[in-house]
Amino acid sequence: MRHLPAPPSRRMFLAAAAGSSLLVACGSSLTPGAKSSAAAGSSAVSTTVPTDKITLVVADADDTTMTPGLLAAFRAKYPNITFKRQYTGWDDYLKSINTTMSADSAPDIAQFVSGMNNLVKGHLLLDVGGYGKAYGWADKFPGLDQITLSGDGKTAGTGALYGVPGGLSFEGVYYNKAKVKQLGLTVPPATVAELEDLFARAKAAGETALVAGNLDGGLNHPFNVLLSVYMKPQDREAWAFGRKGATITGPEAVTAATTLKRWVDKGYVTPKVNGTSDNDATAAFAKGQGVFRISGNWAAAAVAKGLGDDAGLFSMPPTTEGGPLRTTGAGVYYCVSSRSKNAAAAAAFLDFCATRQAAAVTAEAGFMAPDATSMPQQSGLLGDVRTGWQWIVKDSGLQPFIQNASTPTMPDTLTTQLQLLAGGKITVEKFLAALQADFDQFHS
Amino acid sequence: MALLYVLPALLPYTLFAVLPALHTAYLSLFDWDGVTLPSFTGLDNYRRVATDPQLRAAAWHAGALIVFFSVLPIALGLVSAALVARRSGRRGTSLIRTLLFLPQVVPLVAVAVIWRWVYAEDGTLNQALRAIGLGRLTDAWLGSFTWALPAVGLIGTWVVAGLCMVLFLSGTQRIDQEIYEAARMDGAGPLREFWSVTVPLLRPEMAVALSITVIAALSSFDLIYITTGGGPGNTTVVPGILIYRLAFGGGAVGLAGALAVVLTAVISVAVVVINRLAKDPS
Repeated sequence: MRHLPAPPSRRMFLAAAAGSSLLVACGSSLTPGAKSSAAAGSSAVSTTVPTDKITLVVADADDTTMTPGLLAAFRAKYPNITFKRQYTGWDDYLKSINTTMSADSAPDIAQFVSGMNNLVKGHLLLDVGGYGKAYGWADKFPGLDQITLSGDGKTAGTGALYGVPGGLSFEGVYYNKAKVKQLGLTVPPATVAELEDLFARAKAAGETALVAGNLDGGLNHPFNVLLSVYMKPQDREAWAFGRKGATITGPEAVTAATTLKRWVDKGYVTPKVNGTSDNDATAAFAKGQGVFRISGNWAAAAVAKGLGDDAGLFSMPPTTEGGPLRTTGAGVYYCVSSRSKNAAAAAAFLDFCATRQAAAVTAEAGFMAPDATSMPQQSGLLGDVRTGWQWIVKDSGLQPFIQNASTPTMPDTLTTQLQLLAGGKITVEKFLAALQADFDQFHS
Repeated sequence: MALLYVLPALLPYTLFAVLPALHTAYLSLFDWDGVTLPSFTGLDNYRRVATDPQLRAAAWHAGALIVFFSVLPIALGLVSAALVARRSGRRGTSLIRTLLFLPQVVPLVAVAVIWRWVYAEDGTLNQALRAIGLGRLTDAWLGSFTWALPAVGLIGTWVVAGLCMVLFLSGTQRIDQEIYEAARMDGAGPLREFWSVTVPLLRPEMAVALSITVIAALSSFDLIYITTGGGPGNTTVVPGILIYRLAFGGGAVGLAGALAVVLTAVISVAVVVINRLAKDPS
């Protein structure tokens, strides 16, 4: 039996009705930002760890054993608190975490990454300053300024505290002990000029002096470190933290960028550096290619595995002999959602990160523990890394990566501009001006 | 009743394709960072799309990719289809077809990772060049300001060529062998046969191939994201990369939406034009 088709007008009416009811159903999500609240909720601060059964959802992009290890150690101490961990790869985490944190089902604890400062303005992150005072975090954690943010989220180092570091990382100079011995080089160099002299001699002996990969912008490691060495700490921090009026075009920054360009032009850096990825550069160095590599402690495990007893690390030397050591570093920071119903339990976990038990887990994963003195003794490369970290903490020389907090577009801008600089397409002045232009566009 | 039959297809399509697309168009009218309350800015984002020099560069790169994603694969596909069509016995055709179609089956992300190794400083391509004594021609292809775009484009050619060949092969099987015989009796050589028989009779397949490949070229993202990320400098930045950067990293969801709407419009126009041209019998 066949039905006659309904007249077009009726069909269209039905479709329109179905469509509009769908639109109504999606109504609230069509209004972007509707979920960000106008005011921060304040709750009573307590350092008493809750004793009822609690499940905390944790979102992170930590591909080491640190985050799962810390969660397990915390749970061993407080068996009533269970964790549900949502791990996401780094790139995807960067791009998706703001959406995740805006959802009704936001995780209680999240790894803080650049770009999440936008969440501050929407009051989606919990101001943990109250807990910080109650627990005394200022004395327990270095690097809290990197996660202290102004009310509009645009400037770091000032405003309210939003989290603590579970583990920290810093840049140092890896070297191949066998090659250094064979070439008769003396390490560690006392100044940057001496380091460059070592590069020259390694190059003269036919070696790649400084192994690097810039396909994905890996030259930012030496560049950040050179900025740490050459710029006045307050100028460098002002820029990296996005303070109004800060500049990266002054003579010290020009010296840093000129030094990097000279290393490329004189052939110290991996040839065709724009065609090699940062990971491949680490892999090549671990396989025995080249003599030096400027990278962070996150590469220590891979380098130690590849080079074994030939792997070494020293701190980036200062401009003048005996000057304070300064380098670039970041951390795996944990923050708390303002929607978490278990903020006290989450804060207890944050506080746990500064304990001796946590330090063992953190060090095991290759990170630097917030409490540098409680890190367990280690030999070989990991021992070098530990010593380097203790020197940096002693000199308060840890500075933020310029691309992490300055502007949300800076990671892409820095990569693009470093490729142009290394490829000889732009001058040092134009390179720095392009970084400044990105900065000014966001902070004007 | 008719509506009921299409409902199972229509509903998910509306929910997951049409509505999000409309939502994107709606968002393109706002200045929004993805988190906080947006402000309505009307057509401001579209004005920026029209004037931003980086966006214009991206459009040029997408245009260049059409050469690699469409022109080259279709040319290759036509030639190989003609060669196979001329063979009297058609044994082995299905094996050839399977081999050529293989790149289509591999996920594009995997393809991109493989080609990153091929193009690396000590990758397969450079090893091959050194092996045949052309070591001075080697380069880190994806890091070269001159070669990165062609290198990425050729990956597209490799992926799409198989699809075009298979399309044209099935097209040639539809062509009556007698037409070739008649052409041969009239004294047509292989070249004449190609231009006068194969090409004109494959017109419908060419339209399909052109539509698919032009869409692939203009909306390309994954290949470039994995291989170069838009670098070195901005030499391989395409609209897809910019949309992703703006929306997810740069906190400019509205501008990204506007760019996405413009890109969709351009692709739609291109496809309509292609199909118009294909229908024209002259």
